[in-house]
Amino acid sequence: MQGSSIQTSHRSRAFGIFRGPGKAAGFDQLKIVSLLFVVIFVVYALLLPGFFTVGNLLTLMRTVAVLGILGLGMAIVVIGRGIDLSMIASLAVPSALVLMLAASGYSVFVAIGLGICMAIGIGILNGILVAYAEIPSLFTTLAVGIGIAGVGQIGLFDYEIVSWPPQLDVIAWIGRGSIAGLPYSVLAFLATAILVGIFLRGTRPGLFVYASGDNPGAARLTGIPLRPVMVMQYVMSSCIAFFAGLVLSASSASMDTRIFNLTWIYDVILVVVLGGIGLSGGRGGVANVIIGTLLIGTVMNGLTIMDVSFEMQNLVRGLVLLLAVLADSLINPRNEETAQQGDI
Amino acid sequence: MTPVLELRGLTKLYAGVPAVENINFTLMPGEVHALLGENGAGKSTLTKMIAGVVEPTAGEILLDGKTVHLDTPADALKAGIAMVFQETSLVPSMTVAQNLFMGNEHFFNRLRGINIAAQQFMQALNFQVDPTAVVQTLGAAKKQMIEIARAMLSNARIIVFDEPTATLTPEEKKHFFDLVKTLKGRGVAIIFISHALEEALAISDRITILRDGTHVVTDQTAAFDRARIVQSMVGRSLSEELYGKKKDVIRPPGERILQVSNLRVGNMVRNNSLSVFAGQVTGVFGLVGSGRTETFKVVSGAIKRNYLNGGEVFIRGKRVRYRVPAQSLKEKIAYITEDRKIEGFFETMSIKLNIAMGKLAKLGWRKFWLRRSELNRLGDEWSKSLHIRAVSKDAKVIELSGGNQQKVVIAKSLIQEPDLIIFDEPTRGVDVGAIAEIHQMINRLADEGKAVVVISSYLPEIMQLSDRLLVARQGRVVEEFSPLDATEERLMYAAVH
Repeated sequence: MQGSSIQTSHRSRAFGIFRGPGKAAGFDQLKIVSLLFVVIFVVYALLLPGFFTVGNLLTLMRTVAVLGILGLGMAIVVIGRGIDLSMIASLAVPSALVLMLAASGYSVFVAIGLGICMAIGIGILNGILVAYAEIPSLFTTLAVGIGIAGVGQIGLFDYEIVSWPPQLDVIAWIGRGSIAGLPYSVLAFLATAILVGIFLRGTRPGLFVYASGDNPGAARLTGIPLRPVMVMQYVMSSCIAFFAGLVLSASSASMDTRIFNLTWIYDVILVVVLGGIGLSGGRGGVANVIIGTLLIGTVMNGLTIMDVSFEMQNLVRGLVLLLAVLADSLINPRNEETAQQGDI
Repeated sequence: MTPVLELRGLTKLYAGVPAVENINFTLMPGEVHALLGENGAGKSTLTKMIAGVVEPTAGEILLDGKTVHLDTPADALKAGIAMVFQETSLVPSMTVAQNLFMGNEHFFNRLRGINIAAQQFMQALNFQVDPTAVVQTLGAAKKQMIEIARAMLSNARIIVFDEPTATLTPEEKKHFFDLVKTLKGRGVAIIFISHALEEALAISDRITILRDGTHVVTDQTAAFDRARIVQSMVGRSLSEELYGKKKDVIRPPGERILQVSNLRVGNMVRNNSLSVFAGQVTGVFGLVGSGRTETFKVVSGAIKRNYLNGGEVFIRGKRVRYRVPAQSLKEKIAYITEDRKIEGFFETMSIKLNIAMGKLAKLGWRKFWLRRSELNRLGDEWSKSLHIRAVSKDAKVIELSGGNQQKVVIAKSLIQEPDLIIFDEPTRGVDVGAIAEIHQMINRLADEGKAVVVISSYLPEIMQLSDRLLVARQGRVVEEFSPLDATEERLMYAAVH
């Protein structure tokens, strides 16, 4: 039985820090999705006039940058065998709070500081409910997300759309400016990717996230601080969402707090799952998020150029996800028999 | 007489590497045929091919003298081949009757109808199981009866048992053997896979032994004894080394490391008191349900405090009460689980990383950055010193044999430098060669002055290893023996009465 593992052990090291410690499962879907991305990209470039231009590629990256940042946050939680449905609320409410505070005269530092505090608070709330009260993360984060969005809409903001105040223009570059043609929002995505990659691959808490997602029982018995690790991963996801919120509001010059009611969170999950980070935890890494984001961005961009309707684009998105998951399970059948290869 | 099942030159290659090679095998009607071999010998692959789970690379399967192709488990079932797995495949939240008829229900399924049918069927088999009982409330033996009944219901003529007795208590085992005799009387042919050699000797008509995927010997059971089986299995004589000689020297007790007094945990542990000393192996023998695992899980913090109803635990004279294993780790206590798949190892990680994880957990939040080279060095060092064998250095733990998996789990704990090491069933599902190595390791730890606890339900093992023998029954330690004057009969007597 051990023979079947020989090929997977000699894999390329192309993605370096972006890889998780888990190998075969995440890796193979990564390969498939990368291939799919290259194929679609080449086909578009050959067939679609206006796709393979610098301007369009930059547009493509800009449209998915925020989604990619959110995907990175979600990836941390999913690797730790959880899910964070409150990310859109953590994106909208703390960043709208920053805009509002700045507009009403607080200094930029105080405003952002309070925004971070709120994001951390949301994460701690999620984490404590999941880790210590042992409520499934699906329900916890759904409820917390709705609650936080409600708090924002009822208590904090006068209007549903909070506009970008001129007092914050000193940091407006994170969503608007560009360096050497690359928009800062794309750079923000890359920077987040590198930081999350270093965290997951190069630090002890990052490895603990993998361990607790892989096998919580073993992690606990080994003496890993399982519950603090869980709290930490939710704090990280909501802080990353807050950062995504700042980028988004800077680029659109406002924060629409109704964003929570949209289906955006599904896109975030789509990016993570499409890239090959299994929902069963412990698998995948930053490379999976990047490739998932690029694939979705490319597909959608091409459809927009072809002037396909929004409803049709939704259909395509669903099909792409199905195809990716299907291809993975065809190539790596994951039934009980192959999962338990301990004995011949 | 034509054999009911015949295998001719059966071969299965995985990525060009043979898992089983050129196996010839016959099974007569009404025969109990034991299939023995170390983990990795090819028993499971062979039976999976018979059950239609795995497709052979080469060779033929003949049923009643005719070649058949079994592409799916459903094909095999139709041909009268049923497999009863070690991990039961029943739905725990459903009743016995529902489980029996699962997949064969009428569109409008009447509970009363299937209850009556199940009742009649169970009576015909002489099984004492209430068809309306919910499966999760039943013991391992009853669950196995249901699995067998399900196999019989599909008119199986060949039943493959994969480690059927691993989770059974001695009483349940006896019942299981009666059952096998009943099945045999009905002309059902049985393939019996087990690590328990005595059982194979007691129950089978013929024995086939595999080693490294090849056929070693098939002979009448009467022609075998324990030594010959072990020798054929491992190709070397290990029986002496393992269980051959009786213990004649015991290590003197050192400092008292652990004292448990009047511990109560739920209804599993009732006023349990015991002590464990340094420099000794303390063996804890007890049947399933004797509370031995729970007691030591409390000691190591693996059981949550809210289940703890009373009593005290002292470590080196200091009263402790741990909420999580991370706390007991600091006091140099390690609990090595009996269930390595569920709470033992990290399946997506390499061997090295699994082992190094123990060290990382010990350091906790300190030292933020990882040093890969250090992790690799630690992992290599320990897998070398524990002789962990894998196809490649980066192999994942899930791909290893049971014995190597167990060694990884042990290494993960030993790297934390514990002073009190609790081994819970350290050799369950482990091949003979690895058992010897694990036993040597346990002895070495005690020689180094560590306090070692071995929990086991296998008498020869615990008598061989222990310097002190504690027997647990119904939630507490009831008797203490010295291995010098203990016999298997006396220990068992103390454990069951």
